Amino acid sequence: MQLKNIIFLSFISISTFLYAQKSETLIPKDAVTVFSINNINLLQKISIDELISYEFMEEIHQELFDGSTSGKTLKDAGLDFDQRFNIFYGKLDKCELSGFTFGIKNKEQMFSVFDDFEVTAYPNLNGAQVYQSFFNNLIVKNGAALLIRVEPSMELIDQVTDSIWYARGNENPYDYYEEVNEDVLNEEIYDENTQVENSFPDATLDPNEKNYNELRDSVQLVLQREQLDKILIQLFVQNDNLIRLDPRFEIQLTHPVEGIFYMDNARNIDKSSGLWYFQTVLPSLYKNIQELYSGNLILGDLLLKDKSVEFVIEVLYGEKLGSIYTEMNSSHFDKQVLKYIPESSTAYFTYNINLRKAYEKAFEVIMPLLEQEKNAQIAMNVLTIELLNEFVNKDALFGTYKGSMFGSFNGIKKIKTKKIEFFYNEETFEYGEKEAEAEEDMPIFTVGFSIERNDIPEKVLKHLGRLTSKVKNVGDYWCFENAIFDSAPLYMINKNGLFIFTNDQDLALNHSLGYGSKSINNVKFKNAKKSGFMYANLDVKTTLNRFPKDILSPRQNEMIESLRGKSGSLELRSSKTTKEKTSLNLTYSFSGIEQSGKHLLDLINTIYVVSK
Amino acid sequence: MNKLVSFVFVFSLLIFQSCIEIMDELIIHDDGSGTLKYAINLSSSRVKVNSILALDSLDGKKVPSIEEIKTKVSLFKKTLSLQNGISNISISENYTDFIFKFECDFTSIDLLQEGLRKTFSITLNDKSILASDFSWLFWDSKVLERSVPSIATNKLNGITENDLSLLKTGTYTSITRFDRGVERFENPLSKLSKDKKALMLRTDTYSLKEKHSLLENTIYLIPN
Repeated sequence: MQLKNIIFLSFISISTFLYAQKSETLIPKDAVTVFSINNINLLQKISIDELISYEFMEEIHQELFDGSTSGKTLKDAGLDFDQRFNIFYGKLDKCELSGFTFGIKNKEQMFSVFDDFEVTAYPNLNGAQVYQSFFNNLIVKNGAALLIRVEPSMELIDQVTDSIWYARGNENPYDYYEEVNEDVLNEEIYDENTQVENSFPDATLDPNEKNYNELRDSVQLVLQREQLDKILIQLFVQNDNLIRLDPRFEIQLTHPVEGIFYMDNARNIDKSSGLWYFQTVLPSLYKNIQELYSGNLILGDLLLKDKSVEFVIEVLYGEKLGSIYTEMNSSHFDKQVLKYIPESSTAYFTYNINLRKAYEKAFEVIMPLLEQEKNAQIAMNVLTIELLNEFVNKDALFGTYKGSMFGSFNGIKKIKTKKIEFFYNEETFEYGEKEAEAEEDMPIFTVGFSIERNDIPEKVLKHLGRLTSKVKNVGDYWCFENAIFDSAPLYMINKNGLFIFTNDQDLALNHSLGYGSKSINNVKFKNAKKSGFMYANLDVKTTLNRFPKDILSPRQNEMIESLRGKSGSLELRSSKTTKEKTSLNLTYSFSGIEQSGKHLLDLINTIYVVSK
Repeated sequence: MNKLVSFVFVFSLLIFQSCIEIMDELIIHDDGSGTLKYAINLSSSRVKVNSILALDSLDGKKVPSIEEIKTKVSLFKKTLSLQNGISNISISENYTDFIFKFECDFTSIDLLQEGLRKTFSITLNDKSILASDFSWLFWDSKVLERSVPSIATNKLNGITENDLSLLKTGTYTSITRFDRGVERFENPLSKLSKDKKALMLRTDTYSLKEKHSLLENTIYLIPN
């Protein structure tokens, strides 16, 4: 009887708890990426200005980042800390949507922060009140709020605007913007052109008639409203939200963790503009690709511990894709790679796959899909692939590149280069040029691949050596002079069943058989070996803070910037791959007295930057 | 237009963020005609320059390809050749060591400055240069006044704190030669040649950024 009471009371408590958490019911069903922070008490002390400086807030931050937020924390914003704080992003055919949902404890306090919003009359939304500002929309219902921004795609706006513009009998509005011919050297013509280039299309004579840009703005506004209406009706009239759409998301929300992550890759594929060719020209093949990707979902749990934040990720996929992944990841760990990672390495990874098995499985799964397609081009491609499969020596191919690899970043070192110096005669000041030694900073990288047929790269290098004096065999290794940025040498080591590329002279000269006792210690060795297909370890302070940003692309830099200035380490481990899923575990361990909530946000931000 | 902005942006980065050697040489004859030589040497930053050129964009700005840079240099040369009083233009471009040398003859200082002003304005598609103070030389057959053009000082002022240390390794050498001897000069950092017909002034690019007047000088020649 007592047990029954306990169960009953527990049930009541859990139900009350679940029903009280309603901010998540305001997440639109079209959201494909969601971060949901459960224990937002951690964020109480974080200032709003700090919060909105994160990348994941960028789409909606413009209006929040003004004087009204200065010196205020989330606590001052009237938020209900018993409810979840959910950040979402979604991409539809016609628009992108982003925003967040949260609980409200004190509406008056909330509007002291969201002070640019004005109440807007909206068709009946079952009691939901709509507030709008220039960019964003705030919808409040029963102690929960949705802040949402909807952006129609530029392509759609242009399409609709052009259609109206030309239907009205107008000429091309961009005639005014023709590029100035750079060969024009005559000053008079140049002046005329620059004057025209800086001007906007003229307003029409009739003030009631819109010029192109005005028309475009109006179209954007109408499309924005149309998409917003659709989303709000789904949410507040039809009660259609992400929880109802995807039970997997609902289950994820029940996890007793600080935060959860949800990304529906299958729907991402649906909305991928890169697949438009398949969608329009080869619809049946597109359908097959969709089927292949069905069930492709990434779910994550964020756990906050004393000195670490852990991110447990489950990558789920359908049976067909799962069969390829399982074969791909059924590879023995190549212990040789660890000999080439020095203990002093501040970042390294191992990637362990069986490319041959993956190829054979992919051939088995994907070829029948392609064979069904009644298209001449596809048929030719299928024939080519079939012939290559028959004629190519797969033993040699996959013996040369097995698929497993490793990489390490060994800090910044000075490398010797040549420079030209100007020199001056101290009496006449006549000058000349002379060659001199120079030193430049260079990040030191090593990348190596497991190989069975090491005779093949040896053949290639031998012949390259005959073609150019820049490629030389130096006994234990090969050296390619000035291979990196036309300035620094690249060393190649072909030993121990590995083919290694490095710009580390020390590795090539002194450690071509491995670092021996100077390689990574046993604990790190075991961690990497125990991990599934992937393992990565990174010392944030010594790697990212010193990493030369010049050599990275803006996208890569954005990712690095999100972690710069932190201390601690990041470790990524993977589990064994099954036909249904692969698990990954990302741990961010830190020391010091920084707020845990801030570390959580830092990690969320990094994941957001990586996933967007 | 974007290409031009990118060109100026990346060129400024290369100039001011790398270990750089800049040299200018001005030869002025008694009749006011002369030769201007200018050389930029980035060979000690080959890795850095090559790594920047390998990128599509940097800090949100497109990085021009070597072909685009060559086109821009060619436009500069063509435009300058059409200006009054400027002749024998020669530009050498070394994209292996990244050394660029420019040389031209002029009939008068005023025409040289006017020609360069228009050429920079057209090449960089920046009309504000036409209105800017582009007079950095004054010559009246007895006295030569030199300073640094505002287009260069503005670029120096835009350098961030993070990049200042890189400037310390850069050098700037300015040489002025005359047909007759120098009587006196105002910049104490200048050094007079043995035959007293040339002056040399050397500084590092960091000091120049901190104090633009370092290269300013008023040189008085021995009267004819």
